Amino acid sequence: MKMLSLLHFDVLPLAKLEVGHHFYWHLGGLKLHGQVFLTSWVVIGLLLVASLLATRNPQRVPQGLQNLMEYVFEFIRDIAKAQLGEKEYRAWLPFVGTLFLFIFVSNWSGALLPWRVIEIPGGELAAPTGDINTTVALALLTSLAYFYAGFKKRGLGYFAKYVEPTPILLPIAILEDFTKPLSLSFRLFGNILADELVVAVLVLLVPLFIPLPVMMLGLFTSAIQALVFATLAAAYIHEALEGHGEEEAH
Amino acid sequence: MFDFDATLPLMAIQFVLLTFLLNAVLFKPILKIIDERDEYVRTNQADAKAYLAETEALAKQYEQELADSRRQAQAMIAAAQAEAKETVAKQIADAQAQAQQQREQSQKALDEQKRDAFKSLEQQVDSLSQGILDKLLGSQAA
Repeated sequence: MKMLSLLHFDVLPLAKLEVGHHFYWHLGGLKLHGQVFLTSWVVIGLLLVASLLATRNPQRVPQGLQNLMEYVFEFIRDIAKAQLGEKEYRAWLPFVGTLFLFIFVSNWSGALLPWRVIEIPGGELAAPTGDINTTVALALLTSLAYFYAGFKKRGLGYFAKYVEPTPILLPIAILEDFTKPLSLSFRLFGNILADELVVAVLVLLVPLFIPLPVMMLGLFTSAIQALVFATLAAAYIHEALEGHGEEEAH
Repeated sequence: MFDFDATLPLMAIQFVLLTFLLNAVLFKPILKIIDERDEYVRTNQADAKAYLAETEALAKQYEQELADSRRQAQAMIAAAQAEAKETVAKQIADAQAQAQQQREQSQKALDEQKRDAFKSLEQQVDSLSQGILDKLLGSQAA
């Protein structure tokens, strides 16, 4: 990242590039990335406030925020239903839905909220999903979720999926359990960080108007990444629930 | 860039908490609202269907009744017409009979008067011829 830190100009405070600098918090010998938690709390706060406001006074004919949240809910439900099927989706809806909402709002907060205006002692505020810790945490939770789903549904018979349809594929099946969280986390992390960097570099070069199309593209990829993460998580859970041998007709 | 530290597990815990919180404040309530609305719509639809069936039955019944009364009215009109025709025919017949009778009566009276008139004429002829005879013969006789 030395190359990128060459681009430090203090002329344009909004266009500063800082990668790899963190606002460290120390918690009993543990180091935390403070800026990630600050922004994630804003995101979580947004989600909770919107949810509470939407469901505070439920109407039969939805209006305003309730309508929006119902639309969002149905969108999420469709994702979960499409991947997990009618029978299993209800139990996993909160997990898949929270994944989507958290990632989506995080990504868009990074693209839309002027985090960088707020000065913090180290690093800069950005989308929580632009930090590898967040994305790996989400990806590992997804792994845990599908292992849990598999063991809960089929007990130790879950291991049968490693040698089905043939034991020759065992190494690949085991490898998959590592590549899944790896690809999930790096895809999200890479997309969000790259988007922020591209926008920052462009703003640095041409501050006005020219970065706008790239910003729009950033909004688009951010939304797509949230959808992809949630869909893949649901697909992995479905795979663990179904196994290879006993494919049911949907 | 790739510095992993305690952010990771804490973020994971935070996310799990968020999942439970969102389940409590978003997913469950909204699912409940949507289910309730579905239920409401379904009952309303069932009610509406029942009402529609009832209405259709009523309409059918009314149509039946309408057809019945129309038929009845037609029958009544036909009966009345027949009755009227009968009455007219009877009255015409009565009137014709009466006229016939009157004509016969007046014919009879006329005949009688004619006979009377002939009779008196004959008498007068007799007396006149007697007078003529008397006058002719009386002068001879005288």
